[in-house]
Amino acid sequence: MNNVSPVISFLINQGVPLDTIILLLMLPVVVTLIAFFRQVVGIKAFGIYTPAIVTFAFLAVPQLRYGVAVFVSVILVGMLMRVALKGLRILYLPRVAITLSIIAFSILLLLSLGGYMQRTGLASVSIFPILIMITIVEKFVVAQIENGNRTAIILAVETLVISLAGYYLASWPILIRGIIAFPWMILITIPINIFLGKWDGLRLTEYVRFKDVLKNIK
Amino acid sequence: MFEQFKNARKLLGLNARSLDYIRPYNKKKSKRLADDKILSKRALRKGGIPVPKLLAKIRSVEELEIFDWTTLPSTFALKPNRGFGGGGILVVYGRKKLSKKIVQDDSQEVSAPVWIKSDGSKVTVDDLKTHILNIIDGAFSLSNTPDTAFFEERLTLLKLFKPYAYKGIPDIRVIVFNRIPVMAMLRLPTKESGGKANLQQGGIGVGIDLATGVTTTAVLGKGKIIDYVPGTRMLLSGIKIPYWKEILLLAVKAQEISGMGFLGADVAIDRERGPVFLEINARPGLSIQVANLSGLRERLERIKGLKIKTAARGVRVGRDIFGGEIEEEVEDISGRKVIGTVEKVRMIGRGGVEIEIEAKIDTGANSTSIDTEFARQLGFGSVIDYFNTIELPKEFSREEAQKIEDNLRKEHLGKDTSLVDFVVVYSSHGCSIRPKVKVQFVLDEIMVSANANIVDRDELKYSVIIGKKNLGKFLIDVNK
Repeated sequence: MNNVSPVISFLINQGVPLDTIILLLMLPVVVTLIAFFRQVVGIKAFGIYTPAIVTFAFLAVPQLRYGVAVFVSVILVGMLMRVALKGLRILYLPRVAITLSIIAFSILLLLSLGGYMQRTGLASVSIFPILIMITIVEKFVVAQIENGNRTAIILAVETLVISLAGYYLASWPILIRGIIAFPWMILITIPINIFLGKWDGLRLTEYVRFKDVLKNIK
Repeated sequence: MFEQFKNARKLLGLNARSLDYIRPYNKKKSKRLADDKILSKRALRKGGIPVPKLLAKIRSVEELEIFDWTTLPSTFALKPNRGFGGGGILVVYGRKKLSKKIVQDDSQEVSAPVWIKSDGSKVTVDDLKTHILNIIDGAFSLSNTPDTAFFEERLTLLKLFKPYAYKGIPDIRVIVFNRIPVMAMLRLPTKESGGKANLQQGGIGVGIDLATGVTTTAVLGKGKIIDYVPGTRMLLSGIKIPYWKEILLLAVKAQEISGMGFLGADVAIDRERGPVFLEINARPGLSIQVANLSGLRERLERIKGLKIKTAARGVRVGRDIFGGEIEEEVEDISGRKVIGTVEKVRMIGRGGVEIEIEAKIDTGANSTSIDTEFARQLGFGSVIDYFNTIELPKEFSREEAQKIEDNLRKEHLGKDTSLVDFVVVYSSHGCSIRPKVKVQFVLDEIMVSANANIVDRDELKYSVIIGKKNLGKFLIDVNK
């Protein structure tokens, strides 16, 4: 640690943990990345909050693959529960409550399974990232009801892709060192977002969607 | 590749739709009106626009408990008031015999109606109750806010659409901007879409030529180009939409009422009522561009800032600049028919004789001429015979022509009832004196009375030429 900005050293001297500082300063970077994915690439995911929080959940688990395992199981169980609860004809909130409960049990099962298979890393995943990922199931259920299963799965996969991209960006050593050395650099995300907010060109996915039209326009 | 990026500016993407059109042109208040189906239905009806009848609405669980199910007709649509993208709509097509009994107020036994859905499955009162509870709970509304459920009259399918539509009612989506219809498509329900016409649900969108109301290209779902209705040999292009002008007019009027600058208007055609307005849409989908293989953004930018005073004018402008063929439009504006240089005419001669013949439309000639032989067929034989007995001056100058005509008139008019005048005609062959008779002809459904001169035209291709004097009601297109 040779290049440390005076601001960062001041914060550390006040007793703020370095990890907290880095995560907080990473937040603008991650959300800007999500905005970029939405406006320019055209990947929708579940809004901005869900991919951001999943990114941080991934950062908080000891090994990325355990995070992904939890994420995938949550979505899978959410999907199964929709089928299972279809015949029950109950209202929305109780249905989500049941879904969340079953997911909690499933995760418990997954963790013990990890322990049984000598994957202690899985069992040692702290509770907060797990809770975060369980709660995203509500987003998933809403998407299932409003847009159907297919769209909900697509959105879940998109969320996973964005979160993985966010994870790799936020754990990139050069970026972390840069932020520690020049924390004000983070402010560039504001003009970038102003640009993204005024960008009215086609999204990359729309080039695919409208490829037949593009071919036909003279 | 570069070409593609240049063309991309002609397309409307999601970013540009929100940033450049919905935000600046659709105020929050009017968007709220569009998102509230019951409210917008009322506003449209007040504005003189035909809408499907509202049968009943259920706003709360209490209202649901006391609802009298027997008041519902055998066919209706149940919709969430703030639904979007066609979600949460339940349509029934018929009622079964009242069979099942339900118990009301502990003692009374009342028979409960059972309805049939498009796929033949039964819908009981319990099914409706569950569905309505979900609607009230906000399962289908934007951002899950509590909602109202309502029952609406189900429109009847137009015979023309029967082979194209699976179960449900097709509708016509018109994008309106600045009082001008910009693009339109016919939306057909399919098996996959469960009788709903929304493309998001898997319906078919068929592009429509704005000028003529004839369908062009088609898209299935969100992006697959198709030629036929899936599983059939029903060609999707070339369908002529009835009431086309009225539909566009309704769409523009609805825009005026809604107060939105940019919207999607949905109009259906009922077998009895004709065009019926379904709903206004503050965030119209973009697949209409695929159905029409054409970019919306380019069109929107062309009409930005135009001052359009009336709905009728807006419809004319839209059909004129965005339509593929503008002939009908030209006829509408000028009040004249567009004809080619050779047209079939129905000549009506003496005593009502009618003969159809090809005539040359000749703006180089002043008046209409008929060949001698053809004139005989039209019953003017006696005129020709009489004219042949007259001794005509052979050599004369132009100055004398007027005098000769006057003399002939004085001496011979009235001798034959069909002989109405004489004329001295100068042509490339020199000058000649001809008799004139009164004829009528029908050209492109318009009846014209003419004083036609009779001349030997047997060496020429057409026995009839129609001259300037009788072409006042027409515009001539030399390419036709």
